[in-house]
Amino acid sequence: MEERSANNVNFVRLLSDESTYSDMDPINMDSCEYYQTEIFDQLPSIQVFRPGWNGQGFSDACEADQSAPDMGESSQGQLLKGPKDKASVLPLRKLAMCIQAKREARDGRKLQTRDIGFWESWRQSQSINRRRAWEQVTEALSGLLPWQQTLHTIAGRFGIGVKAYFVFLRYLIYLNLLHCVIVCGFILGPTGFYGRGSNSEPLRFGGNDSILDFFLGKGYLNRSAVFFAFYTRGSLNLPCLNTPLLYFAGILTILFLSLIVVLRRTTVGYKHTWMLGNRYSVNVSYKIFCGWDFTIQDPAAAVLKHSFIRNDLKLFLEEQSFSLREAQRTLGQRVRLYLLRFILNILVLALLSGAFYLIYLAIIRSMVEGEHYWLVSLFIQYLAPITITSVNLVLPYVFCKISSFEDYSFTMQVNSTLVRSIFLKLASLGIYLFFLFKAELTKNDCWENVFGREIYKLCIFNFLATFCNAFLLNYPRKLLQDTYPESLLARLSGKQHFLVPFNVLDLVYIQTVYWVGVYYCPVLPLIGTVILVVTFNIKKFTILKCCEAEQRFFRASSSSVLFHFMLLLGVFMAATTLGFNLYQQDVVMSTCGPFGNGETVFNVTRVCVDSLPSLAQSTLRYLASEAFALPLILAEIIILTSYVSRGQANQKAIERLKDILVISSSDKRFLVKQHATMLRRHKSTRRVRRVATEEGATMRHCKDPAPYTQTDYNTVDSQACLPTTST
Amino acid sequence: MGTTASQLGKDSLAEYQELTFLTKQEILLAHKRFTELLHKDHKGDPHARVPMDRVLTLPELKSNPFRKRICHVFSTSEQKDGSLTFEDFLDLLSAFSDSATLEIKSHYAFRIFDFDDDGTLDSGDLEKLVNCLTGDTDDTRLTTEEMRQLISNILEESDIDKDGTVNLSEFQHVISRSPDFVSSFKIVL
Repeated sequence: MEERSANNVNFVRLLSDESTYSDMDPINMDSCEYYQTEIFDQLPSIQVFRPGWNGQGFSDACEADQSAPDMGESSQGQLLKGPKDKASVLPLRKLAMCIQAKREARDGRKLQTRDIGFWESWRQSQSINRRRAWEQVTEALSGLLPWQQTLHTIAGRFGIGVKAYFVFLRYLIYLNLLHCVIVCGFILGPTGFYGRGSNSEPLRFGGNDSILDFFLGKGYLNRSAVFFAFYTRGSLNLPCLNTPLLYFAGILTILFLSLIVVLRRTTVGYKHTWMLGNRYSVNVSYKIFCGWDFTIQDPAAAVLKHSFIRNDLKLFLEEQSFSLREAQRTLGQRVRLYLLRFILNILVLALLSGAFYLIYLAIIRSMVEGEHYWLVSLFIQYLAPITITSVNLVLPYVFCKISSFEDYSFTMQVNSTLVRSIFLKLASLGIYLFFLFKAELTKNDCWENVFGREIYKLCIFNFLATFCNAFLLNYPRKLLQDTYPESLLARLSGKQHFLVPFNVLDLVYIQTVYWVGVYYCPVLPLIGTVILVVTFNIKKFTILKCCEAEQRFFRASSSSVLFHFMLLLGVFMAATTLGFNLYQQDVVMSTCGPFGNGETVFNVTRVCVDSLPSLAQSTLRYLASEAFALPLILAEIIILTSYVSRGQANQKAIERLKDILVISSSDKRFLVKQHATMLRRHKSTRRVRRVATEEGATMRHCKDPAPYTQTDYNTVDSQACLPTTST
Repeated sequence: MGTTASQLGKDSLAEYQELTFLTKQEILLAHKRFTELLHKDHKGDPHARVPMDRVLTLPELKSNPFRKRICHVFSTSEQKDGSLTFEDFLDLLSAFSDSATLEIKSHYAFRIFDFDDDGTLDSGDLEKLVNCLTGDTDDTRLTTEEMRQLISNILEESDIDKDGTVNLSEFQHVISRSPDFVSSFKIVL
């Protein structure tokens, strides 16, 4: 807004300078037509931008120029020099003209530079070949990416927004695969190769173990490699290379890599929205000029695309007039609206605290051990995950309904719902973890395992919920609608849409759970990869079989930043949990796992550092001390300041360039108009003579009707004589 | 030129490769598809024209709202009937190919959107463009009020020199910010 007003000020300044330019909005007819004058086509700036336009579409203009040779041949030659230099550097194929014109251009060039050496030509063809080969390789590689075809189908039927969800899902699968590699390299590999501690009993399925354990994370699974306790100190026992240290390094690497990757995605997305964003607001033009996807072949897809564009434009216009209406609200309306929003926010808070209390109750209940029938005990064991998942399933929809009453714009509605939902999801997870910590730390059990078990159950249950949602809810609903479209139930349930924000929220949530749990349950990335791959297929099934295309277009670009930002919050949450855990190790000794025998991470690393040579030791000590922090902070401040000031300088330069553009174009307009008025005076005297010569040309052409010679392409006259030739 | 009815001569193939962004296979495929469109009597003629109606039956163009404009822009016919020779067809495919540069693509996009061929996008052009995008029937079109609001928005954003029209440089300025214009402005046989 500020920028725009600044621009206007500049224009105002310009207006006062320029007497010919009278008004801003209704452009007067004279200046509107100035680009149709002859001299406009000869301006160097115009010729640079359209070197080939004389070739075909603008043959008339070209012809007009040629038929009026008295307009100053010498000045034209001079003017053409600039663009010609530029054009002779460009490869022929980069000229925007028809093939015949290119041929002529090539012949012209051959005359200029006849002897390109053999070496030069070989090098040119080699570079072309290399580029081609590289393109083919990248194309083949991009074809190798999994689900490319699926993504294409989905994008064609449901639009870019839904595709963004699947791309995000695929991205998370990649991330988890990377985690798998790290886990194998740092944790599973060394443990498998060097064995575990001498006092650990071999793993065997038997005794009281049952299949149910795989769901509960107890018994056999509790002893297995799934959980923390399995990884006791093995025979690899060097001071700086032992299994506990590797275990810790593996977890740190996972978190650190995730941080970098997610941070990068967030900043890239941010840069993207910043470029497309309000700052230089080219939003509408972008939608119009780049709106159509020329690759669309399917008529149904084209209809879909039409409706997407239409809805998107309507949405935009609606939002714009909404903000206009918002500015015009009276005080009374405003007070009433704020009151309503206040009450609704209170309601949201009440819902949130209710949900948290419910989760608390569920945790307390599931902690109490008791003898029950196995199904009941299974249910009680899963009470906390069930509560969390169902609360997270229901409340976002309630938030969505609530935000529709708040009289926000549509994008704002989606965003406010998203923020509330992500707060609910992460906070409920946090509360769950906090109570677990509190409850388990007091017991002298292997609490890391209990913790891992709970997270394991959370993952499994979340997956089961996705599965059931697809096959027990969405698919039957679709079947019902297909077979009995008239029934009351079918009409009540309505059409199914794929709600991208909520689905992405689910992904963010589950990924956060993986990150939090990976310390306690190191194979979680493996489980996660499998679950995500299955989820991908379930979602694919749901969307292709059950859902219909959304009428309201979902904005992928603006919200993907939010998604990645939430993912970032997830990483931070996992890091916090890990930090808290390590801090706890000092207070309450761990009894199992890699740091079993009264060791902590700090002890183990200290032993490692002590074994290093003295120089490395002192360097590490310095790096860890406060004395290093101060220069580090100073250096960061300096770098940041330099970047910020560079950005500001660029900003100023852009503004100045815009000013120059405006000034020079107004100069151009003025000169062209002056020239045009001068020409008009000349023309009135010359018109008679020109008409006579043109008629002479017409006669000549009609006698010689060679239809496809290049000279004819550019003649206006041949059109005039066509009727006579055909008869 | 050594073009024959069934296949292209080696010389012209090399020449087309030099002058367009197409690979050898693409040119051959284009030739095959083009001869399928040609009327039987003209099969031998290298300068034979395929009328626009025939060209528009290609599945690649059939559901494109700008199909007629595309034909008009790439046609070198002096009757301005949108008919294409084989070379025009290659021009078309070259501009829409994967390896064409952003300059070429934006240049031709501009000319396709310039419905009255006057070298700038004025409000009439923009209105037609929007109608093409939203679908040009009575119930899909935007209302007059919406259209007015939209066009004033477009001009406010992209018309940098405030002359009431969008010229090529302003157009390219907008296009250059779009990350996926190159990937969407594409027609591959």
